[in-house]
Amino acid sequence: MRRWWTTASIRVRLTAWYAAVLTLLLLLYATATFFAVRHEFHEQLEQPATGSEDPSHATAEERVEEQLDEVLLVLILGLPVTVVAAGFGGYLLARRALAPIDQLAADARRITADRLHERLTVSNAHDEIGRLAAVINETFARLEASFDQLRRFTADASHELRTPLSVIRGIGEFGLGATRTPREYKDAIGSMLEEVDRLTRLVDTLLRLARGDAGTVRLTREVIDLADLAREVAAALGVLAEDRRQRIHVDAPERVPVLADRLVLREAITNVVDNAIKYGPAASVIHIRVARDLRQAVFTVTDEGPGIAAEHRGRIFDRFYRIDEARSREMGGTGLGLAIAKSAVEANAGNISLESTGAGSTFRITLPRA
Amino acid sequence: MRVLIVEDERKLAEVLASALRAEHYDVVVAATGEDGFYRANAEIFDLVVLDLMLPGRSGLEILQTLRQRRIETPVLILTARDGLDDRVLGLDLGADDYLVKPFALPELLARIRALLRRGRPSEVFRLKFADLELDLVARRVVRGERLIDLTAREFELLEYLVRHQGHLVSREMLARDVWKEPRRATPLDNVIDVQMARLRRKIDPEGVPRLIQTVRGVGFVVREGEP
Repeated sequence: MRRWWTTASIRVRLTAWYAAVLTLLLLLYATATFFAVRHEFHEQLEQPATGSEDPSHATAEERVEEQLDEVLLVLILGLPVTVVAAGFGGYLLARRALAPIDQLAADARRITADRLHERLTVSNAHDEIGRLAAVINETFARLEASFDQLRRFTADASHELRTPLSVIRGIGEFGLGATRTPREYKDAIGSMLEEVDRLTRLVDTLLRLARGDAGTVRLTREVIDLADLAREVAAALGVLAEDRRQRIHVDAPERVPVLADRLVLREAITNVVDNAIKYGPAASVIHIRVARDLRQAVFTVTDEGPGIAAEHRGRIFDRFYRIDEARSREMGGTGLGLAIAKSAVEANAGNISLESTGAGSTFRITLPRA
Repeated sequence: MRVLIVEDERKLAEVLASALRAEHYDVVVAATGEDGFYRANAEIFDLVVLDLMLPGRSGLEILQTLRQRRIETPVLILTARDGLDDRVLGLDLGADDYLVKPFALPELLARIRALLRRGRPSEVFRLKFADLELDLVARRVVRGERLIDLTAREFELLEYLVRHQGHLVSREMLARDVWKEPRRATPLDNVIDVQMARLRRKIDPEGVPRLIQTVRGVGFVVREGEP
């Protein structure tokens, strides 16, 4: 019984409920009607006869009883017939009302990974079915967006991996193409190793990002001073800035304790500061600020560059997204620095964002205070 | 010094064996877990280089059994997975060091030297190479008669290079050991190159034999010779 109940379609269950409720109500109604009629008849019988003495008093009573029996019979026979008829009507109604859901299911099934751009047709956006369809459509839209992102990433990644591979291959083929001097061989091998280095770093970085996505970054959280960390990164990268005649100005007057994995967080900060040094103009100042408000610790790094155009801002943290392809390559960038920074900050329950006006870009990292 | 290499990837095993032989180690290669296990048990080695992913008997099993039998030969494990689990498990089971593939040969050689040196006193207060002298206590550097003024980072860098004199040092080794940055995804290569260029200007000015050499695609080495 229980099995039937759980496996039956909503249509059948609705009909069953409907029939059950109807039966109960009809029974009540019939019973009430029957007793009301009987009461009425008996009252009429018990009234003193007006005019002549009625000799057939007893017979009249019998007739009344007979009529009551008939009424009872009609009620008893009529009830199941009515219930069955109404149940059938209810079934048709339920089927009609639920038909759009079956249609929705069939439509949704048609939309597979290859046809994610398709959407369910919404006939009436305001009824229940319409709202359901709208929700499903939103889900499809999100799914389509992440599929697109994945496709783009896969294409980008294979492109990025192929470039060093084809360089290695080319150098090898060229080197073996003719007899060369030892110096040329050395150069060729060295150049191949440089590309291998690039590949290695790329694969490591992609692995790191994948781990971030899967949420399997293992963190060793401890209370660290964000101001201290900022100064440490500034000192480590200072030589790069000096090379470009830039100055790094660190404004971190007080201790800002945060609970984070030191290495992972340092990776994030190193990447954003490195980015600021690379893209800030020569002989400019890079401002690093560490502060705290009531709930958060805030790290910002600002360059004095031209800022980042609005069309790039939304995608700046995307993997392999480069504003200026040629420039980035020349700088030795993988196109993954900011993606790594984002992943590393988020692993530490923080947030990273970009504020860019015409004058300079500011990357802001916020972390919960320890 | 006898070294056992347990590695099923034939090409890699060959390269490792050649590199170690070039450094005058006596090398034995085992291509399967079974063979490696058998040899490590039956023969005496000074060091075992053990791949973790082996057909037959896994590297971790070999390691575990060796240690259970109280064979305390130093073991350096190689792994392609840099998940923390493998590493921690390996070290817990008694490995002495680990390297994640793809590793640089100079680094493997440096680790092997360090493992074989273990136990011997290595406290030195002075490092010397050619006419270069480092006083590790006073943190002073003299080349010939000239006192050289170095920043703290430059000093550490030079010290590391001189400690590995005659051997190649990769950027990854420098990032990890001098900059204390174990994460490969952190962009430190440029920093290392700039820092190295500065150090060089101070140590090897024009007109004197150059001590710090760059080996393209590999790293740096302190040695005499090629100008």
